[in-house]
Amino acid sequence: MVAASDFVGRDVITVGDFQRDEILFLLDAADRFEKGHGTPLAGRVIATLFFEPSTRTRLSFEAAIGRLGGHAIGFAEGGVSSQSKGESLSDTVRVVEGYSDLLLIRHPREGAARLAAEYVDCPVVNCGDGAHQHPTQTFLDLYTIRREVGRLDNLEVVFAGDLRYGRAVHSLVTVLALFDARITLVSPGFLRLPEEQLEALESLGVSYRETESLEEALPDADVLYMTRVQRERFTDPLEYERFKDAYRLDLETLTHAREDLAILHPLPRVTEIAPEVDNKPHAAYFRQAHYGVAVRKALLALLLGCADEVLK
Amino acid sequence: MNMEQSYVVPKLDHGTVIDHLRASTALRCLQVLDLPMDTRITVGINLESGRLGRKDIIKISDYELKGREAAKLALISPDATLSIIRDYKLHGKHDLTPPLRFQGIMRCVNPGCITRAERTTGSFLVLSNDPVVVRCEYCERSIDASDFIWD
Repeated sequence: MVAASDFVGRDVITVGDFQRDEILFLLDAADRFEKGHGTPLAGRVIATLFFEPSTRTRLSFEAAIGRLGGHAIGFAEGGVSSQSKGESLSDTVRVVEGYSDLLLIRHPREGAARLAAEYVDCPVVNCGDGAHQHPTQTFLDLYTIRREVGRLDNLEVVFAGDLRYGRAVHSLVTVLALFDARITLVSPGFLRLPEEQLEALESLGVSYRETESLEEALPDADVLYMTRVQRERFTDPLEYERFKDAYRLDLETLTHAREDLAILHPLPRVTEIAPEVDNKPHAAYFRQAHYGVAVRKALLALLLGCADEVLK
Repeated sequence: MNMEQSYVVPKLDHGTVIDHLRASTALRCLQVLDLPMDTRITVGINLESGRLGRKDIIKISDYELKGREAAKLALISPDATLSIIRDYKLHGKHDLTPPLRFQGIMRCVNPGCITRAERTTGSFLVLSNDPVVVRCEYCERSIDASDFIWD
């Protein structure tokens, strides 16, 4: 039986750190925090250390902190921190720990949040580390799926686009194993899900298949998770040019899908979803971005041991 | 080892014998050991072995291998045995078994891993011994033995 106290003081580095029941507890808590919350974070200071640009993750965390009565300090890119003077990450987090109760870290290098967590006693939340993991995105993705589809178990989920570098995909695809999902991976060969991820799916017993055709993957899907081809992850600009328009979801493509398909996207979107899709009931991606505030409110309050009043 | 092979790889008075190395791994082992230039070393490659079919052997005179060096060899050739010889007598012998988890010894191969930028020792989990595959505990990248970057 999961309790709010199980979350207090924990680090959130990868989704693998959380059991199915704990994730469901968090999503239930997010339901409560979406409806009402008070100011359980009053007097708390939370550091947002964003060494890499972010819009949704940083702003939704800051919105969550503000709505719960807390205060956010930090920076929105590495260039304005002492990193630009050569300071190591381990030094930065040890300094900032003295100013705050919890650290939110986004960093271009993989494993950065885990390293940071080794140097500080307060909770560390990974807000994206390179192409590795983005666990709070996964929690809000699951929350969105449950809100939009009505359940999490036994779903047909299609991932399409850049599955190689998309950390949101890497986090979500393995956690869906906990919910007996059947997964279809749609990408050009160069942007396939990394071998480690495929091996993880196999070891978890997840049923998955790979294809390069979005149209072929769509007919049975409950959820389509579209992703952007991320220019910033490519070392070779020519490779980026070759794959940037690999997939485009438009009204024509949608004719292959069921009426109740839910389309998710971690955003930002570039060309992979045509604007005319935005007005269709399938399009859940803007609501998905908004759900992030409720999920992050619940997570912060649980980690800091302030959720009891709301969860009563 | 038969008589013909014992002539090829002579007896040692003092030093270390690394036997039952997987065939054709001896030169990689010597590369990672980084022994002093004047060290006397005898190497046998692709010798007959009842246990392995083919094996390599390294005899290092007047040098006793330490734990960190032995750990590297265990990750290259997990079936090997390490013997310390003093005055022609066996002073100690043990199997080289990869640890379940280790720190240092190697660097993560992922150029985007935080351990490649920070002043920190890497930390790895051994996923399998045959073939040897390890996982960086920071970026969680799996690394095959052929890609190891030794510290």
